[in-house]
Amino acid sequence: MIIHANVLLTISSYILAVASAMILGLVLRLPILPEKPMRYSWTVSIIFPTSVLAVGFTAVLFKLGYNGLLVAVLVGVFTAIFAKYFLERVLPRPQMEESS
Amino acid sequence: MNEIIAIIIAAVLSWINFVLIDTWMGLPEEPGVKGAEVIGRAVKKRGGDLAGGFFQGNIVCSPDASAGTLLASAACYTIGTPEGGLIAAVIVYFGNRLCADPGYAGTTGALTITAIIFAASYIGIGPADFIVGMVLAIVTIQGLHHPLASKLLGRIAKKMGRHTKLT
Repeated sequence: MIIHANVLLTISSYILAVASAMILGLVLRLPILPEKPMRYSWTVSIIFPTSVLAVGFTAVLFKLGYNGLLVAVLVGVFTAIFAKYFLERVLPRPQMEESS
Repeated sequence: MNEIIAIIIAAVLSWINFVLIDTWMGLPEEPGVKGAEVIGRAVKKRGGDLAGGFFQGNIVCSPDASAGTLLASAACYTIGTPEGGLIAAVIVYFGNRLCADPGYAGTTGALTITAIIFAASYIGIGPADFIVGMVLAIVTIQGLHHPLASKLLGRIAKKMGRHTKLT
């Protein structure tokens, strides 16, 4: 099986984006995982949604033509800052439970 | 691969993907918003299962794994695999947050179907087959017979320990 160099570069970029988002997330004291039961938790954590957002934002930039490891690191940094300081403001959790 | 067979396989994979993830993430347990509760109770009144009805209501009211599966398939078709699926996961997450949903089911569904589409491309099943397949899969849940579909969903929820405690 032949793996082309650009495929390896793409995979490395995604891993790097997630890694930089996780490291900065730890520095910014984001929780690693949401509290249990996780499926009902609104807590913004490193694993979810920061890592998912990092991979998605990296894919957006790759498709816009911005490639490279440095881009991936910068996306990771941006994602961690976005998740920590802006996500809850842009997309706030609901004020009250709608159903009872 | 023959197109009809490819669509049938894609429909089965999509159905398993979104039903299992949505059930695992607790859609049958309780309605996320009032609309889902109204749908669940209406389905029960017509002879269906309440947990299955909540499942059907929840997937109408916010983009859960069903929407994640369909959007990721469409995004893989238009943008490419896997970038399209990864972008779809982010869009589904934002959609979830707008719909009073924490976003686990939709995002997980989009990511898993992206992996499935990537793997299935090696046996000749493309993203276009998954778009048609997912539409067929959702028709079996929302388009044919609500009470019957809700009973099946309720039985799956019970097996996975996610049946509702509400009455």
